[in-house]
Parts: sequence; C-alpha cells; structure tokens
Amino acid sequence: MNVISNHTMNATIALAALEQVIDPEIGLNVVDLGLIYQLDFDETEKIIYVTMTLTTQFCPMGDTLTAAVRRVLEKTFGERQVRVELCFDPPWTHERISEEGKRFLNQ
Amino acid sequence: MGTGFPQADFRNTPHTAVVPFYLYAAVSLLAGSVLLFLSASLFTGHYFNPGSLAITHIMALGWGTMIILGASHQLVPVLTEKSLYSLRLAHLTFWLAACGIPLLVYGFYKMDMGWPAKWGGRLLLLAILVYVINLFRSLQHGKKMNVHAVYILTAALWLFITAFLGLTLVYNFTIPFLPQDILAYLPLHAHAGIIGWFLLLIIGVGSRLIPMFLISKYQQPRLLYVIYFLINGGLLFYQLSFLWLPAAPLLIPACLIGTGLFLFVFYCIQVFRQRIRKQVDEPMKISLLSVSMIVLPLLTVLVLSGRLLSGEHQLKTVQLYGFVIFFGWITALILGMTFKTLPFIIWNKVYHEKAGVEKTPNPNDLYNKKLFAVMALIYLAGFVLFSAGILLGMISLLQTGAVLLTGMAFLYCLNVYRVWKHKPV
Repeated sequence: MNVISNHTMNATIALAALEQVIDPEIGLNVVDLGLIYQLDFDETEKIIYVTMTLTTQFCPMGDTLTAAVRRVLEKTFGERQVRVELCFDPPWTHERISEEGKRFLNQ
Repeated sequence: MGTGFPQADFRNTPHTAVVPFYLYAAVSLLAGSVLLFLSASLFTGHYFNPGSLAITHIMALGWGTMIILGASHQLVPVLTEKSLYSLRLAHLTFWLAACGIPLLVYGFYKMDMGWPAKWGGRLLLLAILVYVINLFRSLQHGKKMNVHAVYILTAALWLFITAFLGLTLVYNFTIPFLPQDILAYLPLHAHAGIIGWFLLLIIGVGSRLIPMFLISKYQQPRLLYVIYFLINGGLLFYQLSFLWLPAAPLLIPACLIGTGLFLFVFYCIQVFRQRIRKQVDEPMKISLLSVSMIVLPLLTVLVLSGRLLSGEHQLKTVQLYGFVIFFGWITALILGMTFKTLPFIIWNKVYHEKAGVEKTPNPNDLYNKKLFAVMALIYLAGFVLFSAGILLGMISLLQTGAVLLTGMAFLYCLNVYRVWKHKPV
C-alpha cells in the first residue's frame, strides 16, 4: 500500500476508517486501490493533511471521493480539521492496488 | 505542514453541462425509430429520399452527435487532463443545436429547403463552432496534448467541415452553384461525418475509457497515433481525390481506413486481455460488441468501393451501409455507454454529500438491469431483422424490425428517465 505518514498509530486508524470510502465505479475502497499517498498529523494545529490521487486524472468522481475522505476522517478524529489535496505526480498505476484489492478485482 | 507531492488543479464539469444532451438524445432516438417505422417501405428503393434524409439526420445529429457532445463536456477533462474552458459555451452549444436539429430534420422530411432547413443548418453550424472554440480553449492551457486530445480536436474539426459541407448542399438545393449533381457530393459530406467525426471521436474516447473501466495494463499511444494517421490519411485521400483525382480507386482510402479499424480492434482486444478487473458488466459488454460491429460497415464499404455490384444491389448495399452505421455501430456503443456514464453523473449529483458517511446505493443500481437486458435483446433482434429486410427487400421484415427498434428506444427512454429522476434512498 505504501502510505507515507509521520504518525504510524494514527495512520493505521485513519486507513482502517478510510476503508469505508468506496470508489463507486470499481467497487473497491480507496485504501486497497492505493489512492492514499500520504497522511500527516499536525498535533499542534490539530490538522490532518491527506495527499491522495485518483485512478484517472480529472475522474468525474474526484470531488465526491475527496469529500468522502475528509468527512470520514473528521468523524474518526473528532476535533481535528482535515485537508485533502489531490496529486497526480506520480500518477496512479495498477501496481498500487493491494493484494486484497487484486483478489477482489479478480473475482 | 506540506507534503512532498505536487498538488493538482482539479475542477469537474457540472452535470448541467451534460445531462440535457443525454435527455435530448433519448428523445431523438425514439423519434428516429418511429420515423424509421413510418418510412420502412422507403428502404426498398433509392436511399436519397425525404424519409431517409430525415432519419439519417435525426440519428446522426439528435442521437449520436448530441450525446457525444454532452459526454465530451464531461470527458474532455478526463481525456485532456484540463478543465472545460467555459460552461456558458457548453450551454450555448446545447441550445443552438437543440433548436437547429428539429428545423433541419423537418426541412428534410418535408423536402422544404427554404428557411427551416437553412436556419436549422446555420444554427447547427454555429453550435459546432462554439463547441470547437470551447474545446480548443480547453486544450490551449498548460501541458502538451496527449493522443486522446489530438483525436477529439481533430474529430471536432471534421464535424465542423461536415456541417459546413451539409449547409452548402442545402443552399445548393435552392440556388444551384455546384458544378456536379448533389448526389456526387453526398459521400463527401457523409464520410467527413461518419469517419472524421464519429469514428475518430469514438476511437479517441474509447481508447481512454475502455482501459479505464477495465483497469487494463495495456497502454500503446504509438499504436493510437498510427491508427490516427491511417484514418485521417485515408479520409483526406478520399476527399482530395474527389476534387483532383476523380479516377483514383476507392479501395486505397478504404484499405487505409480499414487497416486503422482493424488495428483499433486489435488495441481493444489487448486492453481486454490485459485487464485487471475480471468482471465485465452489461453496458461494457454491449460497448465492446459495438467495437466488433465496426466490421459490418467496413465490409459493406469494401464491397461498394470494389464496384462489384450494380443497380438494385448497389442501392441496397448503400442503404445497409447507412443503417449498420447509425442503428448498428453508433447506437450499440451509445446504448452501452449511456448506462456506463449517466448513472455516475446522477449518482455524483445526488450522493455527493453522503458518500462515506451514509450507506449509498451503487451507481449501477440507478438503472433497471432487467429493462436494460430486454432492451439489448430487442435491439439485436430489431437490428438483424431490419438489416435482412433491406437486403431481401421485404417490407414485412422492415416493419417488424422497425417496431422492435421503436420498442428498444422506448425502453431506453424509460431507463434514462429512471436514472435522471433518481431520488436518494
């Protein structure tokens, strides 16, 4: 999955929560799809920074997916602000899909 | 705190610039099918008649072009990796085309080449010009163009040429100024539209969307450029030889374009074979079927360009050629792609605020799958019967085929309506 983070414990909690966010076209969650690049937790400012990508640049579902990621993390971490940034460099490739995700797609 | 990743500038096209085109196209398909039933007997005679002209234009413009224009407003950012330049221009394109198409079709149906056909043609040409400007401005900003953007821009330019040639022919009805008979120019106009607009656009969009939906590992932009040059080369050769080399064999452009088509089918097969997502849904299956349906018009055009037939058989083959393009290849593709794209557009609108927080249905659940399956079966039966009716010259087969195709259009409209009016569960 290869997600960069400055806080391993919080990142594990965040990724578990983000498994609720499903890409509606593929039917797989954003974590197993490998869309999450980085999760940083600013403990002083109480802000969570998420860097994520989409399977296709300008995917029409982009707005919905980023909003869903923000809402899920706000719900999970309570008082903290969540800032989601999209990034296409490096672009998403199928190699980012987790083994679980590959099994799902192979069904 | 910042990340090491460069941020992307991201702005999607809103549904208001897309959905009206889909609704207009659905109504046009129904109108075109009803007109096909009312004019079924005309398909035993010469292809140049008011009924055929009206059906061809309602299918090519109201159905095929309108839905492609709408979908391309949504897809331009996906294909070109840049936002759509102007929503106002997108809306203007819709209203100009929406007013122009019925006028033009009415003009053909009544063979009234006066103000209805002329104003219809003018409005349509203006709509296309606005679309081309919007597309060009969207592509102008930023990074280098990718192969899909090259296809879509070239296709739009061919569409403009098609409409310009068409309007010229409309004027020639009332004020004859062209040196040859109007029938001589018809293939130029028709092929600029069929190959330059529809084929290039479908390849440009399909080569991006099919791998995207199937999550395929196969990527081959060089092959897509080879296809691009083969098809454009063949089409330019055909258009220019009409003006300067009238004796040039038609088999040369037919073979160039045919090779391009076979390479595109090869591309699709590779995409399919190297897909990661094994499950293929029904709309995707019918879209892939339409790729193989390209072979039908290609076979008929090879027969026609070889000048192997004469008299009645030649006319029947021309009728069949037009039918398999508009009711076969283009219709099959759109039937599939509508239910691959529209449910997502509506889902995005309805569930944007709920995704990730509440349980939401899958976008695929927005349309009725049973209705879709019945529609697909009726469509295939109607298509085969009507094609057989053209070849055998049997009115009963033509009428039965047209009734089935009208049924298909009705079920399509019903399913589109169901998706459009979806309310949150």
